[in-house]
Amino acid sequence: MTKKKKISIFILLAVILVIMMFLSILSGSVYIKPHDVFNVLTGNDSSSVNALLIFNIRLPRMIAGVFAGMGLACAGVILQSVMNNSLASPNTIGVNSGAGFAVMLALFIYNGSSSHSAVFAFAGALITTFLVFGIAYLGDNSRTTIILAGITISSLLSAGINTIKLIDSDITINITTFMIGTLNGITSKAIIIPCIGIAAAVLVSICFSRHLNILNLGDDIARSLGLNVGVTRLILMTLSSIMAGCVVSYAGLLSFVGLIVPHIGRKLFGNDARILLPCSALLGAIFVISCDLLGKIIAAPYELPAGIIMSFVGGPFFLYLLLKKKGGRRVNA
Amino acid sequence: MLSFKNVNVSYHSDTILKNISLDVPSGRITTIIGPNGCGKTTLISSLNKTADLTEGSIVLEGTDLSKISSKERAKLIAFLPQIRQVIPAIPVKVLVEHGRFPHLGFSRRKTKEDTDIVNKAMDFTGVTKYSDMYVNTLSGGVRQRVFFAMILAQDCDTIILDEPTTYLDIEGQRNFYNMILSLKKRGKTVLLVLHDISKALEISDKIVVMNNSEIVFDGTPADCIESHIIEDVFSASCRRLKDEKGEYFLFE
Repeated sequence: MTKKKKISIFILLAVILVIMMFLSILSGSVYIKPHDVFNVLTGNDSSSVNALLIFNIRLPRMIAGVFAGMGLACAGVILQSVMNNSLASPNTIGVNSGAGFAVMLALFIYNGSSSHSAVFAFAGALITTFLVFGIAYLGDNSRTTIILAGITISSLLSAGINTIKLIDSDITINITTFMIGTLNGITSKAIIIPCIGIAAAVLVSICFSRHLNILNLGDDIARSLGLNVGVTRLILMTLSSIMAGCVVSYAGLLSFVGLIVPHIGRKLFGNDARILLPCSALLGAIFVISCDLLGKIIAAPYELPAGIIMSFVGGPFFLYLLLKKKGGRRVNA
Repeated sequence: MLSFKNVNVSYHSDTILKNISLDVPSGRITTIIGPNGCGKTTLISSLNKTADLTEGSIVLEGTDLSKISSKERAKLIAFLPQIRQVIPAIPVKVLVEHGRFPHLGFSRRKTKEDTDIVNKAMDFTGVTKYSDMYVNTLSGGVRQRVFFAMILAQDCDTIILDEPTTYLDIEGQRNFYNMILSLKKRGKTVLLVLHDISKALEISDKIVVMNNSEIVFDGTPADCIESHIIEDVFSASCRRLKDEKGEYFLFE
Protein backbone atom coordinates (compact mmCIF):
# COMPACT_ATOMS: atom_id res chain seq x y z
CA MET A 1 0.00 0.00 0.00
CA THR A 2 1.35 3.41 -0.93
CA LYS A 3 2.16 6.09 1.63
CA LYS A 4 -0.56 8.33 0.18
CA LYS A 5 -3.16 5.60 0.57
CA LYS A 6 -2.07 4.98 4.15
CA ILE A 7 -2.44 8.67 4.97
CA SER A 8 -5.91 8.69 3.34
CA ILE A 9 -6.98 5.70 5.44
CA PHE A 10 -5.58 7.32 8.58
CA ILE A 11 -7.56 10.52 7.91
CA LEU A 12 -10.68 8.48 7.16
CA LEU A 13 -10.29 6.59 10.44
CA ALA A 14 -9.83 9.87 12.33
CA VAL A 15 -13.07 11.18 10.80
CA ILE A 16 -14.87 7.94 11.68
CA LEU A 17 -13.59 8.23 15.27
CA VAL A 18 -14.92 11.79 15.60
CA ILE A 19 -18.31 10.68 14.24
CA MET A 20 -18.41 7.69 16.59
CA MET A 21 -17.45 9.89 19.54
CA PHE A 22 -20.33 12.22 18.74
CA LEU A 23 -22.76 9.30 18.28
CA SER A 24 -21.57 7.83 21.58
CA ILE A 25 -22.50 11.04 23.37
CA LEU A 26 -25.76 11.24 21.47
CA SER A 27 -26.93 7.74 22.32
CA GLY A 28 -28.42 6.60 25.59
CA SER A 29 -31.70 5.89 27.33
CA VAL A 30 -32.66 9.59 27.28
CA TYR A 31 -32.92 11.08 23.83
CA ILE A 32 -30.98 14.33 23.36
CA LYS A 33 -31.19 16.16 20.06
CA PRO A 34 -27.87 16.47 18.16
CA HIS A 35 -28.30 20.25 18.22
CA ASP A 36 -28.54 20.21 22.03
CA VAL A 37 -25.48 17.98 22.30
CA PHE A 38 -23.59 20.42 20.12
CA ASN A 39 -24.72 23.34 22.31
CA VAL A 40 -23.53 21.59 25.47
CA LEU A 41 -20.19 20.63 23.96
CA THR A 42 -19.53 24.16 22.65
CA GLY A 43 -20.30 25.66 26.06
CA ASN A 44 -23.55 27.39 25.07
CA ASP A 45 -25.51 25.28 27.54
CA SER A 46 -23.83 24.28 30.77
CA SER A 47 -26.62 24.12 33.30
CA SER A 48 -29.47 22.15 31.76
CA VAL A 49 -30.32 18.52 32.52
CA ASN A 50 -28.81 17.68 29.15
CA ALA A 51 -25.50 19.26 30.19
CA LEU A 52 -25.48 17.33 33.47
CA LEU A 53 -26.25 14.12 31.64
CA ILE A 54 -23.55 14.69 29.05
CA PHE A 55 -20.79 15.92 31.38
CA ASN A 56 -21.42 13.44 34.18
CA ILE A 57 -22.33 10.31 32.28
CA ARG A 58 -21.94 10.28 28.52
CA LEU A 59 -18.73 12.26 28.06
CA PRO A 60 -16.76 10.27 30.69
CA ARG A 61 -18.10 7.07 29.14
CA MET A 62 -17.04 8.13 25.66
CA ILE A 63 -13.59 9.25 26.84
CA ALA A 64 -13.21 6.02 28.80
CA GLY A 65 -14.03 4.05 25.64
CA VAL A 66 -11.55 5.97 23.51
CA PHE A 67 -8.71 5.50 26.00
CA ALA A 68 -9.62 1.86 26.64
CA GLY A 69 -9.40 1.15 22.92
CA MET A 70 -6.15 3.05 22.53
CA GLY A 71 -4.55 1.38 25.52
CA LEU A 72 -5.58 -2.19 24.80
CA ALA A 73 -4.77 -1.96 21.08
CA CYS A 74 -1.27 -0.56 21.71
CA ALA A 75 -0.72 -3.11 24.50
CA GLY A 76 -1.66 -5.81 21.98
CA VAL A 77 0.80 -4.52 19.36
CA ILE A 78 3.57 -4.45 21.95
CA LEU A 79 2.85 -7.86 23.48
CA GLN A 80 2.67 -9.52 20.07
CA SER A 81 6.09 -8.10 19.23
CA VAL A 82 7.75 -8.66 22.59
CA MET A 83 6.50 -12.25 22.83
CA ASN A 84 7.05 -12.87 19.13
CA ASN A 85 3.54 -14.26 19.04
CA SER A 86 0.72 -12.99 16.86
CA LEU A 87 -1.88 -14.55 19.18
CA ALA A 88 -0.68 -12.64 22.23
CA SER A 89 -2.86 -9.89 23.66
CA PRO A 90 -3.66 -8.57 27.14
CA ASN A 91 -6.62 -10.94 27.19
CA THR A 92 -5.14 -14.13 25.77
CA ILE A 93 -2.03 -14.13 27.93
CA GLY A 94 -3.94 -13.33 31.12
CA VAL A 95 -2.72 -9.76 31.67
CA ASN A 96 -6.29 -8.48 31.92
CA SER A 97 -7.12 -11.16 34.49
CA GLY A 98 -4.01 -10.23 36.47
CA ALA A 99 -5.08 -6.61 36.52
CA GLY A 100 -8.65 -7.62 37.37
CA PHE A 101 -7.54 -9.80 40.25
CA ALA A 102 -5.41 -6.96 41.58
CA VAL A 103 -8.37 -4.55 41.39
CA MET A 104 -10.52 -6.99 43.38
CA LEU A 105 -7.66 -7.39 45.84
CA ALA A 106 -7.49 -3.61 46.27
CA LEU A 107 -11.23 -3.48 46.92
CA PHE A 108 -10.91 -6.35 49.42
CA ILE A 109 -8.01 -4.72 51.26
CA TYR A 110 -9.63 -1.27 51.35
CA ASN A 111 -13.09 -2.58 52.34
CA GLY A 112 -15.07 -2.28 49.15
CA SER A 113 -13.84 0.92 47.59
CA SER A 114 -10.41 1.99 46.57
CA SER A 115 -8.76 4.91 44.87
CA HIS A 116 -5.69 2.74 44.35
CA SER A 117 -7.31 0.52 41.72
CA ALA A 118 -5.18 1.82 38.85
CA VAL A 119 -1.92 1.21 40.71
CA PHE A 120 -3.01 -2.27 41.80
CA ALA A 121 -4.20 -3.05 38.26
CA PHE A 122 -0.86 -2.00 36.81
CA ALA A 123 1.03 -4.12 39.32
CA GLY A 124 -1.26 -7.10 38.66
CA ALA A 125 -0.85 -6.75 34.90
CA LEU A 126 2.93 -6.46 35.16
CA ILE A 127 3.32 -9.44 37.49
CA THR A 128 1.10 -11.58 35.26
CA THR A 129 3.03 -10.57 32.14
CA PHE A 130 6.32 -11.59 33.72
CA LEU A 131 4.79 -14.77 35.10
CA VAL A 132 3.51 -15.90 31.68
CA PHE A 133 6.75 -14.83 30.04
CA GLY A 134 8.76 -16.73 32.67
CA ILE A 135 6.66 -19.90 32.33
CA ALA A 136 7.02 -19.80 28.56
CA TYR A 137 10.76 -19.24 28.92
CA LEU A 138 11.09 -22.25 31.23
CA GLY A 139 9.13 -24.28 28.69
CA ASP A 140 9.84 -24.30 24.98
CA ASN A 141 8.92 -20.62 24.55
CA SER A 142 6.59 -21.55 21.69
CA ARG A 143 3.45 -19.71 20.71
CA THR A 144 1.33 -22.55 22.09
CA THR A 145 3.12 -22.55 25.45
CA ILE A 146 2.62 -18.80 25.85
CA ILE A 147 -1.08 -19.04 25.07
CA LEU A 148 -1.61 -22.11 27.27
CA ALA A 149 0.31 -20.49 30.13
CA GLY A 150 -1.86 -17.39 29.66
CA ILE A 151 -5.09 -19.40 29.69
CA THR A 152 -4.00 -21.29 32.82
CA ILE A 153 -2.94 -18.17 34.71
CA SER A 154 -6.09 -16.41 33.52
CA SER A 155 -8.31 -19.23 34.84
CA LEU A 156 -6.56 -19.21 38.20
CA LEU A 157 -6.91 -15.45 38.52
CA SER A 158 -10.57 -15.55 37.45
CA ALA A 159 -11.16 -18.08 40.21
CA GLY A 160 -9.40 -15.67 42.57
CA ILE A 161 -11.62 -12.80 41.44
CA ASN A 162 -14.77 -14.83 42.06
CA THR A 163 -13.50 -16.04 45.43
CA ILE A 164 -12.82 -12.50 46.65
CA LYS A 165 -16.25 -11.39 45.51
CA LEU A 166 -17.89 -14.32 47.32
CA ILE A 167 -16.09 -13.81 50.63
CA ASP A 168 -16.44 -10.03 50.70
CA SER A 169 -19.97 -8.78 50.23
CA ASP A 170 -18.85 -5.16 50.71
CA ILE A 171 -17.36 -5.10 47.23
CA THR A 172 -19.80 -3.10 45.16
CA ILE A 173 -18.55 -4.09 41.72
CA ASN A 174 -20.97 -6.12 39.61
CA ILE A 175 -18.80 -9.17 39.11
CA THR A 176 -20.53 -10.28 35.91
CA THR A 177 -20.08 -6.99 34.07
CA PHE A 178 -16.56 -6.59 35.50
CA MET A 179 -15.53 -9.97 34.07
CA ILE A 180 -17.07 -9.15 30.70
CA GLY A 181 -16.01 -5.52 30.64
CA THR A 182 -18.28 -2.52 30.41
CA LEU A 183 -18.17 1.25 30.12
CA ASN A 184 -21.52 1.68 31.86
CA GLY A 185 -21.58 3.78 35.01
CA ILE A 186 -18.09 5.21 34.59
CA THR A 187 -17.49 8.54 36.33
CA SER A 188 -15.00 11.21 35.35
CA LYS A 189 -13.30 10.82 38.75
CA ALA A 190 -12.63 7.15 38.07
CA ILE A 191 -10.96 7.70 34.72
CA ILE A 192 -8.69 10.73 35.22
CA ILE A 193 -5.61 8.90 36.54
CA PRO A 194 -5.99 5.79 34.32
CA CYS A 195 -6.49 7.93 31.19
CA ILE A 196 -3.39 9.99 31.99
CA GLY A 197 -1.51 6.72 32.50
CA ILE A 198 -2.75 5.32 29.19
CA ALA A 199 -1.97 8.52 27.25
CA ALA A 200 1.54 8.69 28.71
CA ALA A 201 2.21 4.99 28.03
CA VAL A 202 0.95 5.27 24.44
CA LEU A 203 3.15 8.31 23.79
CA VAL A 204 6.24 6.67 25.30
CA SER A 205 5.50 3.51 23.28
CA ILE A 206 5.45 5.54 20.08
CA CYS A 207 8.85 6.95 21.06
CA PHE A 208 10.06 3.35 21.34
CA SER A 209 8.55 2.26 18.03
CA ARG A 210 11.96 1.98 16.32
CA HIS A 211 13.14 -0.24 19.14
CA LEU A 212 10.01 -2.33 18.67
CA ASN A 213 10.79 -2.65 14.96
CA ILE A 214 14.30 -3.87 15.75
CA LEU A 215 13.00 -6.30 18.38
CA ASN A 216 10.67 -7.69 15.72
CA LEU A 217 13.69 -8.93 13.77
CA GLY A 218 14.46 -11.53 16.44
CA ASP A 219 16.74 -11.34 19.46
CA ASP A 220 19.98 -12.27 17.68
CA ILE A 221 19.63 -9.69 14.94
CA ALA A 222 18.40 -7.09 17.44
CA ARG A 223 21.50 -7.64 19.58
CA SER A 224 23.72 -7.41 16.52
CA LEU A 225 22.17 -4.06 15.69
CA GLY A 226 23.06 -2.78 19.15
CA LEU A 227 19.69 -3.05 20.86
CA ASN A 228 19.79 -3.87 24.53
CA VAL A 229 17.17 -6.59 24.14
CA GLY A 230 16.55 -7.26 27.83
CA VAL A 231 16.08 -3.64 28.84
CA THR A 232 13.96 -2.83 25.79
CA ARG A 233 11.72 -5.82 26.42
CA LEU A 234 11.34 -4.83 30.08
CA ILE A 235 10.41 -1.24 29.18
CA LEU A 236 7.89 -2.33 26.56
CA MET A 237 6.29 -4.94 28.81
CA THR A 238 5.98 -2.35 31.57
CA LEU A 239 4.32 0.06 29.15
CA SER A 240 1.85 -2.56 27.96
CA SER A 241 1.07 -3.44 31.57
CA ILE A 242 0.40 0.22 32.39
CA MET A 243 -2.01 0.42 29.46
CA ALA A 244 -3.85 -2.84 30.15
CA GLY A 245 -3.89 -2.27 33.91
CA CYS A 246 -5.29 1.25 33.62
CA VAL A 247 -8.08 0.08 31.30
CA VAL A 248 -9.06 -2.82 33.57
CA SER A 249 -9.15 -0.51 36.61
CA TYR A 250 -12.23 1.26 35.25
CA ALA A 251 -13.67 -0.90 32.45
CA GLY A 252 -13.15 -4.45 33.68
CA LEU A 253 -11.83 -7.27 31.52
CA LEU A 254 -12.59 -5.98 28.02
CA SER A 255 -11.54 -8.75 25.71
CA PHE A 256 -10.24 -9.16 22.18
CA VAL A 257 -9.41 -5.49 21.48
CA GLY A 258 -5.71 -6.14 21.93
CA LEU A 259 -5.90 -9.17 19.65
CA ILE A 260 -8.10 -8.02 16.78
CA VAL A 261 -7.00 -4.43 16.37
CA PRO A 262 -3.25 -5.03 15.87
CA HIS A 263 -4.08 -7.57 13.13
CA ILE A 264 -6.39 -5.17 11.33
CA GLY A 265 -3.79 -2.44 11.81
CA ARG A 266 -1.09 -4.60 10.22
CA LYS A 267 -3.38 -5.42 7.32
CA LEU A 268 -4.06 -1.74 6.69
CA PHE A 269 -0.78 -0.08 7.57
CA GLY A 270 1.93 -2.77 7.53
CA ASN A 271 4.32 -3.79 10.30
CA ASP A 272 6.24 -0.59 10.90
CA ALA A 273 5.54 0.16 14.56
CA ARG A 274 6.05 3.89 13.97
CA ILE A 275 2.84 3.83 11.94
CA LEU A 276 1.19 0.76 13.44
CA LEU A 277 1.10 2.02 17.04
CA PRO A 278 -0.71 5.33 16.44
CA CYS A 279 -2.99 3.75 13.85
CA SER A 280 -3.84 0.85 16.16
CA ALA A 281 -4.62 3.37 18.90
CA LEU A 282 -7.07 5.03 16.51
CA LEU A 283 -8.60 1.73 15.41
CA GLY A 284 -8.85 0.52 19.01
CA ALA A 285 -10.72 3.65 20.05
CA ILE A 286 -13.16 3.23 17.15
CA PHE A 287 -13.63 -0.45 17.95
CA VAL A 288 -14.40 0.03 21.64
CA ILE A 289 -16.80 2.93 21.31
CA SER A 290 -18.51 1.23 18.37
CA CYS A 291 -19.05 -1.90 20.47
CA ASP A 292 -20.29 0.25 23.34
CA LEU A 293 -22.63 2.08 20.99
CA LEU A 294 -23.94 -1.20 19.58
CA GLY A 295 -24.49 -2.45 23.11
CA LYS A 296 -26.61 0.60 23.83
CA ILE A 297 -28.66 0.31 20.64
CA ILE A 298 -29.01 -3.41 19.98
CA ALA A 299 -31.26 -4.28 22.93
CA ALA A 300 -32.64 -0.82 23.76
CA PRO A 301 -33.98 0.20 26.22
CA TYR A 302 -31.66 -2.32 27.91
CA GLU A 303 -27.90 -2.16 27.53
CA LEU A 304 -25.50 -4.91 26.66
CA PRO A 305 -22.00 -4.42 28.11
CA ALA A 306 -19.43 -3.51 25.45
CA GLY A 307 -17.47 -6.64 26.41
CA ILE A 308 -20.29 -8.90 25.19
CA ILE A 309 -20.31 -7.28 21.75
CA MET A 310 -16.52 -7.54 21.63
CA SER A 311 -16.68 -11.24 22.46
CA PHE A 312 -19.26 -11.82 19.72
CA VAL A 313 -16.92 -10.16 17.22
CA GLY A 314 -13.62 -11.29 18.73
CA GLY A 315 -14.37 -14.97 19.30
CA PRO A 316 -14.82 -15.87 15.64
CA PHE A 317 -11.85 -13.65 14.73
CA PHE A 318 -9.64 -15.48 17.21
CA LEU A 319 -10.70 -18.83 15.74
CA TYR A 320 -9.97 -17.50 12.28
CA LEU A 321 -6.44 -16.55 13.38
CA LEU A 322 -5.88 -19.93 15.02
CA LEU A 323 -6.94 -21.81 11.91
CA LYS A 324 -5.10 -19.48 9.54
CA LYS A 325 -1.84 -19.74 11.42
CA LYS A 326 -1.92 -23.41 12.34
CA GLY A 327 1.54 -24.87 12.29
CA GLY A 328 2.94 -21.94 14.22
CA ARG A 329 4.38 -19.99 11.34
CA ARG A 330 4.86 -16.38 12.22
CA VAL A 331 3.56 -14.13 9.48
CA ASN A 332 4.22 -10.73 10.84
CA ALA A 333 6.98 -8.86 12.56
CA MET B 1 42.99 -6.65 15.35
CA LEU B 2 40.21 -8.53 17.10
CA SER B 3 41.56 -10.59 19.99
CA PHE B 4 39.89 -13.24 22.11
CA LYS B 5 41.88 -13.50 25.34
CA ASN B 6 41.50 -16.62 27.50
CA VAL B 7 37.79 -16.78 26.74
CA ASN B 8 35.74 -19.31 28.69
CA VAL B 9 32.01 -19.86 28.34
CA SER B 10 30.06 -22.24 30.56
CA TYR B 11 26.37 -22.93 30.82
CA HIS B 12 25.38 -24.49 34.14
CA SER B 13 28.05 -27.20 34.51
CA ASP B 14 28.74 -27.58 30.78
CA THR B 15 31.89 -26.02 29.38
CA ILE B 16 31.18 -24.67 25.91
CA LEU B 17 34.42 -22.76 25.32
CA LYS B 18 37.66 -23.69 27.05
CA ASN B 19 40.36 -21.04 27.38
CA ILE B 20 40.14 -19.67 23.84
CA SER B 21 42.82 -17.23 22.73
CA LEU B 22 42.70 -16.06 19.15
CA ASP B 23 43.85 -13.08 17.10
CA VAL B 24 41.79 -12.13 14.07
CA PRO B 25 44.03 -9.94 11.86
CA SER B 26 42.61 -6.72 10.43
CA GLY B 27 41.81 -6.57 6.73
CA ARG B 28 41.96 -10.35 6.37
CA ILE B 29 39.54 -13.25 6.10
CA THR B 30 39.67 -15.62 9.06
CA THR B 31 37.54 -18.75 9.01
CA ILE B 32 36.61 -21.01 11.89
CA ILE B 33 35.90 -24.62 11.03
CA GLY B 34 35.10 -27.59 13.21
CA PRO B 35 32.58 -30.38 13.79
CA ASN B 36 29.03 -29.64 14.95
CA GLY B 37 28.82 -28.68 18.60
CA CYS B 38 32.51 -27.78 18.96
CA GLY B 39 31.72 -24.19 20.02
CA LYS B 40 32.20 -22.21 16.79
CA THR B 41 28.88 -20.41 16.95
CA THR B 42 29.23 -19.82 20.69
CA LEU B 43 32.62 -18.24 20.12
CA ILE B 44 31.35 -15.71 17.61
CA SER B 45 28.07 -15.27 19.49
CA SER B 46 30.13 -13.92 22.38
CA LEU B 47 30.81 -10.93 20.13
CA ASN B 48 27.21 -9.75 20.31
CA LYS B 49 26.62 -10.98 23.85
CA THR B 50 24.26 -13.75 22.81
CA ALA B 51 26.75 -15.91 24.73
CA ASP B 52 28.15 -14.36 27.91
CA LEU B 53 31.79 -14.90 28.81
CA THR B 54 32.44 -16.76 32.05
CA GLU B 55 36.08 -15.65 31.96
CA GLY B 56 38.39 -13.72 29.64
CA SER B 57 37.90 -10.74 27.40
CA ILE B 58 37.46 -9.73 23.78
CA VAL B 59 39.42 -6.72 22.58
CA LEU B 60 38.94 -4.91 19.28
CA GLU B 61 41.66 -2.41 18.31
CA GLY B 62 42.45 -1.85 22.00
CA THR B 63 38.80 -1.55 23.10
CA ASP B 64 37.49 -4.13 25.55
CA LEU B 65 34.07 -5.01 24.14
CA SER B 66 32.63 -5.71 27.60
CA LYS B 67 33.33 -2.09 28.58
CA ILE B 68 31.24 -0.49 25.84
CA SER B 69 27.49 -0.31 25.28
CA SER B 70 25.62 -2.59 22.87
CA LYS B 71 25.15 0.34 20.55
CA GLU B 72 28.83 1.29 20.51
CA ARG B 73 29.69 -2.35 19.87
CA ALA B 74 27.28 -2.45 16.92
CA LYS B 75 29.15 0.49 15.39
CA LEU B 76 32.35 -1.57 15.46
CA ILE B 77 31.18 -5.10 14.68
CA ALA B 78 28.49 -6.23 12.25
CA PHE B 79 27.22 -9.73 12.95
CA LEU B 80 25.00 -11.93 10.81
CA PRO B 81 23.65 -14.92 12.76
CA GLN B 82 23.09 -18.22 11.02
CA ILE B 83 19.45 -18.75 11.95
CA ARG B 84 16.67 -16.27 11.25
CA GLN B 85 14.28 -16.38 14.17
CA VAL B 86 11.91 -14.14 12.24
CA ILE B 87 11.36 -13.46 8.57
CA PRO B 88 9.96 -9.96 8.75
CA ALA B 89 7.07 -8.88 6.58
CA ILE B 90 8.61 -5.50 5.79
CA PRO B 91 9.99 -3.99 2.58
CA VAL B 92 13.62 -4.80 1.72
CA LYS B 93 14.72 -1.18 1.96
CA VAL B 94 13.20 -0.79 5.42
CA LEU B 95 15.09 -3.87 6.64
CA VAL B 96 18.38 -2.62 5.21
CA GLU B 97 17.75 0.78 6.82
CA HIS B 98 17.54 -0.97 10.19
CA GLY B 99 21.29 -1.46 9.78
CA ARG B 100 21.69 2.23 10.57
CA PHE B 101 20.00 1.75 13.97
CA PRO B 102 23.19 2.00 16.06
CA HIS B 103 24.18 5.23 14.34
CA LEU B 104 20.90 7.09 14.79
CA GLY B 105 20.04 9.34 17.71
CA PHE B 106 16.88 8.98 19.82
CA SER B 107 14.79 10.75 17.17
CA ARG B 108 16.06 8.08 14.74
CA ARG B 109 16.08 10.62 11.92
CA LYS B 110 18.22 9.52 8.98
CA THR B 111 20.74 11.85 7.39
CA LYS B 112 21.77 11.91 3.74
CA GLU B 113 24.90 9.99 4.75
CA ASP B 114 22.72 7.24 6.25
CA THR B 115 20.69 7.02 3.05
CA ASP B 116 23.86 6.87 0.94
CA ILE B 117 25.31 4.05 3.04
CA VAL B 118 22.04 2.10 2.80
CA ASN B 119 21.93 2.55 -0.99
CA LYS B 120 25.57 1.47 -1.35
CA ALA B 121 24.95 -1.65 0.77
CA MET B 122 21.97 -2.54 -1.40
CA ASP B 123 23.93 -1.98 -4.60
CA PHE B 124 26.87 -4.02 -3.32
CA THR B 125 24.68 -7.01 -2.51
CA GLY B 126 22.54 -6.60 -5.63
CA VAL B 127 19.21 -6.16 -3.86
CA THR B 128 18.34 -2.65 -5.04
CA LYS B 129 15.82 -4.03 -7.54
CA TYR B 130 13.94 -5.73 -4.69
CA SER B 131 13.80 -2.49 -2.70
CA ASP B 132 10.02 -2.30 -2.36
CA MET B 133 9.38 -6.04 -2.15
CA TYR B 134 8.56 -7.65 1.17
CA VAL B 135 11.37 -9.71 2.71
CA ASN B 136 9.08 -12.65 3.50
CA THR B 137 8.14 -13.00 -0.18
CA LEU B 138 11.74 -13.40 -1.41
CA SER B 139 13.68 -16.60 -2.10
CA GLY B 140 16.17 -17.81 0.51
CA GLY B 141 19.17 -16.64 -1.52
CA VAL B 142 17.91 -13.11 -2.08
CA ARG B 143 16.72 -12.91 1.52
CA GLN B 144 20.21 -13.79 2.74
CA ARG B 145 21.67 -11.02 0.59
CA VAL B 146 19.12 -8.58 2.04
CA PHE B 147 20.16 -9.44 5.59
CA PHE B 148 23.79 -9.15 4.47
CA ALA B 149 23.01 -5.67 3.09
CA MET B 150 21.47 -4.77 6.44
CA ILE B 151 24.62 -5.59 8.39
CA LEU B 152 26.79 -3.88 5.76
CA ALA B 153 24.67 -0.76 6.35
CA GLN B 154 26.10 -0.79 9.88
CA ASP B 155 29.27 0.36 8.12
CA CYS B 156 31.60 -1.55 10.46
CA ASP B 157 35.19 -2.49 9.74
CA THR B 158 34.73 -5.92 11.30
CA ILE B 159 32.15 -8.29 9.85
CA ILE B 160 31.19 -11.60 11.42
CA LEU B 161 29.25 -14.16 9.39
CA ASP B 162 27.95 -17.43 10.83
CA GLU B 163 27.42 -20.02 8.08
CA PRO B 164 26.35 -17.38 5.54
CA THR B 165 26.00 -19.84 2.64
CA THR B 166 24.19 -22.70 4.37
CA TYR B 167 20.88 -22.34 2.57
CA LEU B 168 22.20 -21.07 -0.75
CA ASP B 169 22.45 -22.85 -4.09
CA ILE B 170 25.80 -23.03 -5.94
CA GLU B 171 25.33 -19.73 -7.73
CA GLY B 172 24.20 -18.04 -4.52
CA GLN B 173 27.25 -19.41 -2.70
CA ARG B 174 29.61 -18.23 -5.45
CA ASN B 175 28.11 -14.73 -5.34
CA PHE B 176 28.38 -14.63 -1.58
CA TYR B 177 32.03 -15.68 -1.53
CA ASN B 178 32.81 -13.08 -4.20
CA MET B 179 31.21 -10.42 -2.01
CA ILE B 180 33.30 -11.55 0.96
CA LEU B 181 36.49 -11.35 -1.12
CA SER B 182 35.42 -7.93 -2.32
CA LEU B 183 34.98 -6.77 1.29
CA LYS B 184 38.53 -7.90 2.04
CA LYS B 185 39.77 -5.79 -0.85
CA ARG B 186 38.03 -2.83 0.77
CA GLY B 187 40.06 -3.43 3.93
CA LYS B 188 37.32 -5.05 6.00
CA THR B 189 38.11 -7.69 8.59
CA VAL B 190 35.96 -10.76 8.01
CA LEU B 191 35.47 -13.57 10.53
CA LEU B 192 33.55 -16.52 9.13
CA VAL B 193 32.18 -19.78 10.43
CA LEU B 194 31.96 -22.29 7.58
CA HIS B 195 31.18 -25.95 7.11
CA ASP B 196 32.54 -25.94 3.57
CA ILE B 197 36.17 -26.77 4.42
CA SER B 198 37.42 -26.64 0.82
CA LYS B 199 36.00 -23.16 0.37
CA ALA B 200 37.37 -22.07 3.73
CA LEU B 201 40.87 -23.12 2.67
CA GLU B 202 40.43 -21.39 -0.68
CA ILE B 203 39.27 -17.94 0.42
CA SER B 204 40.77 -17.52 3.91
CA ASP B 205 44.00 -15.91 5.01
CA LYS B 206 43.77 -17.68 8.33
CA ILE B 207 42.13 -20.92 9.39
CA VAL B 208 41.04 -21.73 12.94
CA VAL B 209 40.11 -25.34 13.67
CA MET B 210 38.01 -26.02 16.76
CA ASN B 211 37.25 -29.33 18.42
CA ASN B 212 35.71 -30.16 21.80
CA SER B 213 35.38 -26.51 22.90
CA GLU B 214 39.02 -25.72 22.14
CA ILE B 215 41.13 -24.30 19.34
CA VAL B 216 43.29 -27.11 17.99
CA PHE B 217 44.82 -25.23 15.06
CA ASP B 218 45.38 -21.58 14.21
CA GLY B 219 47.40 -20.68 11.12
CA THR B 220 47.47 -20.30 7.35
CA PRO B 221 45.47 -22.62 5.06
CA ALA B 222 48.75 -24.14 3.74
CA ASP B 223 49.94 -24.96 7.26
CA CYS B 224 46.51 -26.35 8.06
CA ILE B 225 46.72 -28.77 5.15
CA GLU B 226 50.26 -29.79 6.04
CA SER B 227 49.32 -30.44 9.66
CA HIS B 228 46.58 -32.94 8.66
CA ILE B 229 44.52 -31.61 11.56
CA ILE B 230 41.36 -31.53 9.45
CA GLU B 231 41.63 -35.25 8.72
CA ASP B 232 42.06 -35.92 12.45
CA VAL B 233 39.25 -33.69 13.66
CA PHE B 234 36.70 -34.69 11.04
CA SER B 235 37.89 -38.29 10.60
CA ALA B 236 38.09 -37.53 6.89
CA SER B 237 40.56 -38.12 4.12
CA CYS B 238 41.85 -35.31 1.92
CA ARG B 239 42.40 -35.41 -1.84
CA ARG B 240 44.24 -32.66 -3.69
CA LEU B 241 42.96 -31.65 -7.12
CA LYS B 242 44.78 -29.32 -9.47
CA ASP B 243 43.73 -27.47 -12.60
CA GLU B 244 44.88 -24.36 -14.43
CA LYS B 245 43.14 -22.14 -11.86
CA GLY B 246 44.84 -23.60 -8.83
CA GLU B 247 44.76 -26.32 -6.21
CA TYR B 248 41.60 -27.61 -4.52
CA PHE B 249 41.00 -29.93 -1.61
CA LEU B 250 38.30 -32.51 -1.42
CA PHE B 251 37.46 -33.99 1.96
CA GLU B 252 35.63 -37.31 2.11
